[in-house]
Amino acid sequence: MSCLIVQSDKTLLLEVDHEQADACRRAIAPFAELERAPEHIHTYRLTPLGLWNARAAGHDAEQVIDALMEYSRYPVPHALLVDVAETMARYGRLRLSKHPTHGLVLTSTDRPVLEEILRSKRVQPLVGARIDDDTVAVHPSERGQIKQVLLKLGWPAEDLAGYVDGEAHPIELREDGWSLRPYQKQAVEGFWHGGSGVVVLPCGAGKTLVGAGAMAEAKATTLILVTNTVSARQWKHELVKRTSLTEDEIGEYSGTRKEIRPVTIATYQVLTTKRKGVYPHLELFDSRDWGLILYDEVHLLPAPVFKFTADLQARRRLGLTATLVREDGRESDVFSLIGPKRFDAPWKEIEAQGYIAPADCVEVRVNLTDSERLAYATAEAEEKYRYCATTATKRKVTEALVAKHRGQQTLVIGQYIDQLDELGEHLNAPVIKGETSNAQREKLFDAFRNGELSVLVVSKVANFSIDLPEATVAIQVSGTFGSRQEEAQRLGRVLRPKADGHEARFYSVVARDTIDQDFAAHRQRFLAEQGYAYRIVDADDLLAGADEDS
Amino acid sequence: MTTGDAAVPRTLAEDLRARDDDALALLLRARPDLLSPVPNDLTQLATRAATRSSVVRTLDRLDAFTHQVAEALAVAPDPCDEDTLRILMTGAGAGARPARARRTSEQGGALLPGGEPLAPELAAAAAEALPRAVRTLRECGVLWGGEDRLRLVRTAKDLLAPSPSAASATGLGPSVGEATAGMSPSRLQEIVADAGLPGTHDPTSAITALTGLFGDAGRLGALLAQAPDGVPEVLERLLWGPPYGEVRDATAPVRADAGDRPVTPVQWLLARGLLLPAGQHTVVLPREAALTLRGGRAHRVPEPAPPAVDPVTRPERTVDMTAGGQAFTAIRTVVELLTEWQTGGPPVLRSGGLSVRDLKRTAAALDLTEPQAAFWLELAYAAGLIASDGEADERYAPTPAADEWRQLPPERQWTVLATAWLAATRTPGLVGSRDAKGRALSALGPELDRSLTPRVRRAALRVLADLPAGGTVVKDALLARLRWQRPLRGSADALRTDLLGWTLEEAETLGVTGRGALAGHARALLESPPDAGRAAALLAPLLPEPLDHVLLQADLTAVAPGPLIAALAETLNVLADVESKGGATVYRFTPASVRRALDAGRSAAELQTFLAAHSRTPVPQPLSYLVDDVARRHGALRVGAASAYLRCDDDAVLTELLADRRASGLGLRRLAPTVLAAQSDPATLLERLRAMGLAPAAESADGDVLITRADARRTPPRTPPLPVTDGPPVPDDKLLGAAVKAIRAGDRAATAVRRAPAPAADGLPRTPAADTLATVQAAALAGESLWIGYVNAEGSASQRVIAPVRVEGGYVTAYDHTTDEVRTFALHRITGVSELADDPA
Repeated sequence: MSCLIVQSDKTLLLEVDHEQADACRRAIAPFAELERAPEHIHTYRLTPLGLWNARAAGHDAEQVIDALMEYSRYPVPHALLVDVAETMARYGRLRLSKHPTHGLVLTSTDRPVLEEILRSKRVQPLVGARIDDDTVAVHPSERGQIKQVLLKLGWPAEDLAGYVDGEAHPIELREDGWSLRPYQKQAVEGFWHGGSGVVVLPCGAGKTLVGAGAMAEAKATTLILVTNTVSARQWKHELVKRTSLTEDEIGEYSGTRKEIRPVTIATYQVLTTKRKGVYPHLELFDSRDWGLILYDEVHLLPAPVFKFTADLQARRRLGLTATLVREDGRESDVFSLIGPKRFDAPWKEIEAQGYIAPADCVEVRVNLTDSERLAYATAEAEEKYRYCATTATKRKVTEALVAKHRGQQTLVIGQYIDQLDELGEHLNAPVIKGETSNAQREKLFDAFRNGELSVLVVSKVANFSIDLPEATVAIQVSGTFGSRQEEAQRLGRVLRPKADGHEARFYSVVARDTIDQDFAAHRQRFLAEQGYAYRIVDADDLLAGADEDS
Repeated sequence: MTTGDAAVPRTLAEDLRARDDDALALLLRARPDLLSPVPNDLTQLATRAATRSSVVRTLDRLDAFTHQVAEALAVAPDPCDEDTLRILMTGAGAGARPARARRTSEQGGALLPGGEPLAPELAAAAAEALPRAVRTLRECGVLWGGEDRLRLVRTAKDLLAPSPSAASATGLGPSVGEATAGMSPSRLQEIVADAGLPGTHDPTSAITALTGLFGDAGRLGALLAQAPDGVPEVLERLLWGPPYGEVRDATAPVRADAGDRPVTPVQWLLARGLLLPAGQHTVVLPREAALTLRGGRAHRVPEPAPPAVDPVTRPERTVDMTAGGQAFTAIRTVVELLTEWQTGGPPVLRSGGLSVRDLKRTAAALDLTEPQAAFWLELAYAAGLIASDGEADERYAPTPAADEWRQLPPERQWTVLATAWLAATRTPGLVGSRDAKGRALSALGPELDRSLTPRVRRAALRVLADLPAGGTVVKDALLARLRWQRPLRGSADALRTDLLGWTLEEAETLGVTGRGALAGHARALLESPPDAGRAAALLAPLLPEPLDHVLLQADLTAVAPGPLIAALAETLNVLADVESKGGATVYRFTPASVRRALDAGRSAAELQTFLAAHSRTPVPQPLSYLVDDVARRHGALRVGAASAYLRCDDDAVLTELLADRRASGLGLRRLAPTVLAAQSDPATLLERLRAMGLAPAAESADGDVLITRADARRTPPRTPPLPVTDGPPVPDDKLLGAAVKAIRAGDRAATAVRRAPAPAADGLPRTPAADTLATVQAAALAGESLWIGYVNAEGSASQRVIAPVRVEGGYVTAYDHTTDEVRTFALHRITGVSELADDPA
C-alpha cells in the first residue's frame, strides 16, 4: 500500500502517517500545491500554475508522472496523466529573450502556437514587427503585460531576457552571533537562481532576513515595498541590525517622510495614493536605478502596484508572503508579474524545527443573552456582524481571558474601534488604532516589548509586520468578516519563538449561533488546513473556571 | 438414401439429404434463419436456403478468401471441377501462358497485358487454403455437388456473377454470350470473320467459336500478336476491372478491313469481338478473354490468410491492474448514476430517449463529458439497471434489478456490466449524430441499435484474445484483420470503422482492456460459454478492498482512503457532502449536511457513536461540536402541517421571530408564549425559517418530529432490452438436434414412395406447399411452364398454365398462357402445381 491517492479531480491525498510519506512529499512538492494540511491526510492540488512553477524550476512532465505512478496507491487515471503532460508542455513554448539587434523578442519553438497567440486581440498591441517565422519583436515596455496576457491565454512565456544589474551598492549580512537558518538560506538561493519569484514562509519564520539575504546577494540599490509605516520602521530597524547598512543609507518613503536613499522602504499606501486621477509617487520607481525590488506581503499587493510592477520586469523582484491565497483570486498575476514560487515550507514543518513557537488555538463560544439575541435578530443585515461581534457578553469573556493570563504579554485584536476603546477602558490598557500617531505607536510597542506593558489593545493596523516577539497570548474579538489571511496574520503575531520556549495561545471569541460563528469557521479554514486544530471551549465553562490549566 | 443416384446429387435438396446429421446441424448453426420456422423436410430446407435474403446474409458472413472463392465459382462454368477452381484462384502457371512467352520473344520484352503472375508463395498459400474455403461454402449450403462437380447455388451465382449492368468484385465482365445477346446475327458473323474464324451457320455456334478462341491462350496470343500499338494498353486498362470503358461510339459496326483509314486500338478490338458494345458509349471486355489474359485468375491478389497483426506486449500485471482500476471506476460510476437518479430521473422525450439538456445535466452531475455519460447511461440501460417507468408522465428511474445489482459484490457487478456490454446492440457512440432524416439521435432513444455492434466488439476482442497475454495491436491492424474476416462494403464498412474505435475506447473505459491489451478477467467472458464466475474470481483481487473506516480531521473533513462498505458510504453520504471523488473519497461536514442527517431521523448521540465507531482516530473536537451544535438547534422549532403552527419551548425565539421583518410574509401570530400560528403552508414556512438561519423541524399531528427522507423511486419490474440482431439467435445444440430430427422425419414422409395421388374432384392439381415452391422455383430457373390450380381473391378456383419468371416474397411473377399476360400469383393461393407433360401430344 502506498501513501498517495490520486483523485480524478486532480487532488492528491497524502497519508502523512505512512512511512513513505516524507519521500512522497518531497517528490510531489515541486509541482503540487499544498492545499490543506490537517492532521492525517494532506491534500495537494495539481494546477496549471503549480505545474508551470515546476517547469520553471527545471522539472519535466516525465518526473511528475513518474512521481505520481510511483507513489499512487491506485492506478492513476489516464486522462490526468495526459493532462499533466499537455499542461507542462505549454510552458516554455514561448520565450522572451534579448536579441542583439531587435531588443526584446518573443520566440517560439512551435510555430502554430505563435500564430495562435498573434491572432489574439490582446497580444496584437503588445508586439512589434515579425522578425522571422518563429520570432516577433516585443515592445520592451510591454514585457510585463505580454507575460500576463500569455498566461491568461494558457501559453505562459519563459522570461529569459535577464535583468539589469542596477546601481551597485555594497550590502553584507553581519552574522555576529546569529546566522541565517537553513531554510532561509535555501529560500535566498532558490530566489537568486530563479532570478525573480516568490518565497512563501509562515509568519514569524524570518521573512525579513530572507529579504536581507537577497539584498546581500544583489549588492545593489533596493526598493522595499511594505504594507504600512510601522512595518517600514521595523524593516529599517532589522536591516540596520542585521546588515552592513547604516541608518543613513536607508530611506523611508511614506505619508510623513519622502526620503530616497540607496535602500528605500515605501508603503503600498503612499504609492497608491491618487491625486487628480494620477499617482503622484510613481516617480519613485524611476528615481534610482534599482537593482532589486522587494514586495513584503505579496498576497496584499494592491491592484495598482501590479500595474506598476508590469513596467519593472527588467529588475529583479522578490515577493515575500505567508500565503499565496489571495481573497481576490489574483494568484496568476503574482505568477506572471513577480515570478513563480521559488521556495515554500509548510508551517508545521518550521514549527517542528523550532523556529516558530507552537500555538494552541482556541475558539471560545459565547452564548448571547436573550435580549442580545432579540436585538441581533432584528438588526439590519449589514449591521448583523458588527452587532454580534461587539456584544457585551463577548467583552466580559475577553476580560475573563485577560485576567486568566495575567502576567503574560497579551494582545487583544479587534476590528471595531468603539469596541476596542471600550475594551481598553475596561482592561485599563492602551489602544493602538489608525489615528494613533506613529511616534505613539513606537512608544507603546517598545513598552510592550520591554514588559512595562502587559496588555495591548490593537486594531487591524497591527495585522501585519509588527514584531512583538514576547506576545504569547492573542485574543481576537472581531475581524474583517471571513478573511482567512487575516486570521493567519494575527496568529503570526504570537508565533515568534519565545525566549523560554513557551507555547503561544490564540483565542478567538465567537458569538454562538450567529453570523460571527459562520465567519469564524471560514476564517479558521486556512489555519485548520495548515494543521492548526482549533479547540472549542464554551465561554460558560471558562467563566466558571472549570476549564483551565494555567 | 443409399442408392447410386444419391452419390451424384442432382439438386441441393438431394445433396442435403445425403449429408449426415452433424453436417445438417452445422448448416443450421451457420444459418439460423433457416430454422424459423423449422422446415418440414429437406426440400423445403433447400428451397429456403436458396432464397435471396438468406443467401445474401450467408455470403455477407464469409471471410475475404472464402468470398473470393465464391466469386470465382460464380464466373466459372457450372458445374466446376476442382482444377478449374484452383486455376481461377492461383493462375494457370507458366505453361498456360504461351501468348506472353511468344510476344516476349518476338517483340523484345513487350508484355501482353495481364501483368505479373502470382507470387509462388501466395499461390501456394491460396492452393492450400482452397479446400477449407470450399468446405466452408459447402457447410453453409451455398455450394453442393460432387468433388468434380461443384455447383454454386443459383441465387448465389446470380448475386456474385457479373451482370450486364454491374461488374463483380472480380472485375470480370459478362461472357461473350451475355454480351452479344441482342446483337444481329450478321454483325456476329462479321466479328467471327474478322477474328479469323470460319463462318458459322447460327449465332449460337458463332458464340461458341468466339468463346473457344478467347479461352485458348495460344490462339488468342497469336491473334494479339498482330495487334497494332496501343492495343495492349487498352486491354491492360480493362483487364483487372472495371471491364467497361467509354468510347465515342460503341455500336458502330467496325471491320478489320477498314480500307485505308487508320484503325484505333479500340476499333481493332471491337472488330474482333475482344471488346463488345455494352451500350451507346460503353464497351466491355468479355469475361473469357479477360480470364485468359489474366492467366486464368479470377482475382489479381487472392487473400488466403488474414493480414498479420503486429502485437506489442505489455506487462500482464500492468494490464490487469489498469483494467482493474477502470473496472472499479466503472462500478462506481454506475452506482453514482443510479444514486443520481434515485429519486426519479429525467423525463423521457416524446420521441423516446433523453433530451440533450438532461444528458448534459447528468454528465455534469457525474463529472463526465457528454459522450462518456451517454456510454454509462446506455450501459446501465443495456444491463437493465435503468428504464422508463412507463407512467403517463414518463421518466427514467432505476429498475428493481438495480437494487439487486447493488447488493452484489463488486466483481459480480462488473461481470454483469461487461456481459451486458458484450451482447448489447445499443451503440452509444452514435448519440448526438444524425439519422438519415436529419434527426439527432438521443441517448437511451430509439434507433441506437446496430446489429453490427456486438459482432465488432466480439471480433475485436477475439483478435486480442488470440494474442499472447498482454498483447495489444494498433487500431489499423485490427481493422485490417476484421476486414479480412468479414468484408463489408460502403456504409457498413464505415460504420464498422467507427464501431471499432468506440469498442476499443469503451473496452478501456469499462476495464475489459488495460492499456490496449485484454485483461485476464475479461478473457473468461469471451469464452464460449462465458465464464462469469471465473471472471469475477480473477477480478476480485484487483479491486480495492472495501474499507470500514474513515479518517476524521479537525478541518471538518473525512477521508475514505478507498472504497467504503455500502452501509458506511450510505450514511456518510447523508451526513457529509462529497468534495472529491476517485480512488478515495473526501467528505466535508457542514451544518447543512449534519442537519440533513438529523432530518433523516438520526439523533446526535447516534451520529457521535457512528463517527467514533468508524474513525481510526479520535473524533476531532470541532466535529463533535458541530454535530452537537446543529443537533441542539435542530428541532428546537417545530412546525405543524395540519394547522401550520410554530411552537418553541424558548419563547424568546418566537419573540425574535415575530419581531423579525423577514418573517412578515409568513403571517405569524403568537398563540401562546411558546406557540405561533402561521398563514402560509408548512413547506414554505420551513423554507423561510431555514433561510433566516433557524433550524425548525416539521411536526406531525401527534407532535412527533416528521422524518423527511426522500423515497427511492423505482420502475415496475423491467427486463433488460434484448439485443437487436439482424436474424434469429444461434440455436443451441439441443434445438439443433431436435430440428434436424424433425426435418429428417418430415423428409422421409415427403419422399416416401406413394401412389400417384388421385386428382382431386375439382380437377385442380394438389401439392404440398413446399413442393409447390420448389417446383415453381425450378421452373423459373429452367424457364419451363407449369400447370397450376389457383384460387383467386373471390374464392373461385381456376386452372392455368404459367411460365414463372421470378419467385420473390411469396409471389410468383409469371407469364400466364391462359390469359396471355404477365401477372403475379400469390404463392399461398396456388393449390398445387404439376409439370406439363414433355410431349404435348
